[in-house]
Amino acid sequence: MVKTLLAGATLLSGTSLHAASCCGGGSASALVLPKFSNAMIDASFDIEQYDGFWNRDGDHINDPSGSDLNQYRLNISYAHRLASRWQTSVTIPYTWNDNQYSGLDTQTNGLGDANINLWYEAFDDVTCIGKVTTLADLKPAIYFGATLTLPTGISAFDDVDTSFDITGRGFYRLDGNVLLEKTIYPWSTSLLLSYGKYLERSVNREYGKFVEPYETNLGDRLLATLAFGYTQFLDSMNTITYMLAYSHLQEEKAKINGRTDPTSGFEKRSLALTAAYATMDRDWVFKASWSHAIDRDGWGENFPTTDVLTLGVTHVLY
Amino acid sequence: MTDDLTPSGDDKRPAVESGSIGSQPTQSAPNFTAIDTLNNSHTLNDELALTDAVVLYFTMWCPICDSHMAHIRSSLIPEFPNTRFLIIDYVTGSIIASRAAQLANGYASFTVLADSNQALHDTFKGSMGITVVIDGSGTVQLNEYYKDGQKIRETLASLP
Repeated sequence: MVKTLLAGATLLSGTSLHAASCCGGGSASALVLPKFSNAMIDASFDIEQYDGFWNRDGDHINDPSGSDLNQYRLNISYAHRLASRWQTSVTIPYTWNDNQYSGLDTQTNGLGDANINLWYEAFDDVTCIGKVTTLADLKPAIYFGATLTLPTGISAFDDVDTSFDITGRGFYRLDGNVLLEKTIYPWSTSLLLSYGKYLERSVNREYGKFVEPYETNLGDRLLATLAFGYTQFLDSMNTITYMLAYSHLQEEKAKINGRTDPTSGFEKRSLALTAAYATMDRDWVFKASWSHAIDRDGWGENFPTTDVLTLGVTHVLY
Repeated sequence: MTDDLTPSGDDKRPAVESGSIGSQPTQSAPNFTAIDTLNNSHTLNDELALTDAVVLYFTMWCPICDSHMAHIRSSLIPEFPNTRFLIIDYVTGSIIASRAAQLANGYASFTVLADSNQALHDTFKGSMGITVVIDGSGTVQLNEYYKDGQKIRETLASLP
């Protein structure tokens, strides 16, 4: 992969497209089963194009002229209901790196970092309503979750030749998640907050070369995504939901043998537009999303600027 | 993948013959000549004759590279004024493109070698952020990822 962080950018974004919001469950910002459904299969394809980066001062810098840097990801997810309020899911990405500089052209591919989720639903009934009549009608759907990221991708610490091969970050990470969601048709809103800690690890190899072993850990990670949506009911009672989301992602500085690495840490802010077409029974959802990072000063730090087009389909089993 | 699922802290650095020609620590760095982005020629042995050490840093003009290079500029260059820092651009493919990237990234004051055919990249097993420290006698003292720069600092400080 062209840049070590790129893997982080994409695998950590948390904005990959999953089920469209459909009444008390299902979210555009996390793989969450709708209430009263048993399972869900989700497949999505990301096309991520790199458009420079923000330096440590937040200034946007263009990529070298003649470069065309892309990453493609196929994400396969499965969610399963464990109990009336509990559900779990797993996502496995497969990644293709396609990087062209004026002096170098590389194509590599491999498994990305997988993750396993566990969610608790702090509500029993569907919270989507059409009209507010009592204060209780305003109660949102609240989910509490945990996500374990597994370093199944190819990292800089694997047996690789160059940074172009990288598809993962090489660290276990545990996130705590809170998702609030409320729909008062035709409007909806959601807020996803996620805070993650990486597990320290040993390193004895960098880009294929064995080095003096050391201990390292990435900094804590915060993701916040606020989304607003509008659902249009078609004559067939199928729906199209449009959603606009704003995301803030940041990671604190890493540590190396207990020392803070002043060259690490990053921030990224982005906007995403999503359209989701759902059948009347909400058992099939077809989605398209465009996530755009503003390629201007001040919208990120020490991080690549990317646009991501995602196409996906979800099948819900009731 | 298993390297990441079950990380190892074992020291597996292969033994190399000290003084042999190569890119790994204790080996003698192969001499090279390369052109910088201002069309000046640089030969390793000539650079070593004028300075205490030469540091090669491999860049691909990415955010991490930028962080490392900014750290080199703000911390290492002032601390080690008699060390020659050479930036190796192994991705842009031409002197003109390399110079443009150098200026766009704000490193006009650096000496950037345009490694257009990846010769230095291959010779020193370079990659993004790889840093090679070569002492005045031409011996490779360090060849690894930049990280926080502390290992490079310690290596340079320990040179006679």
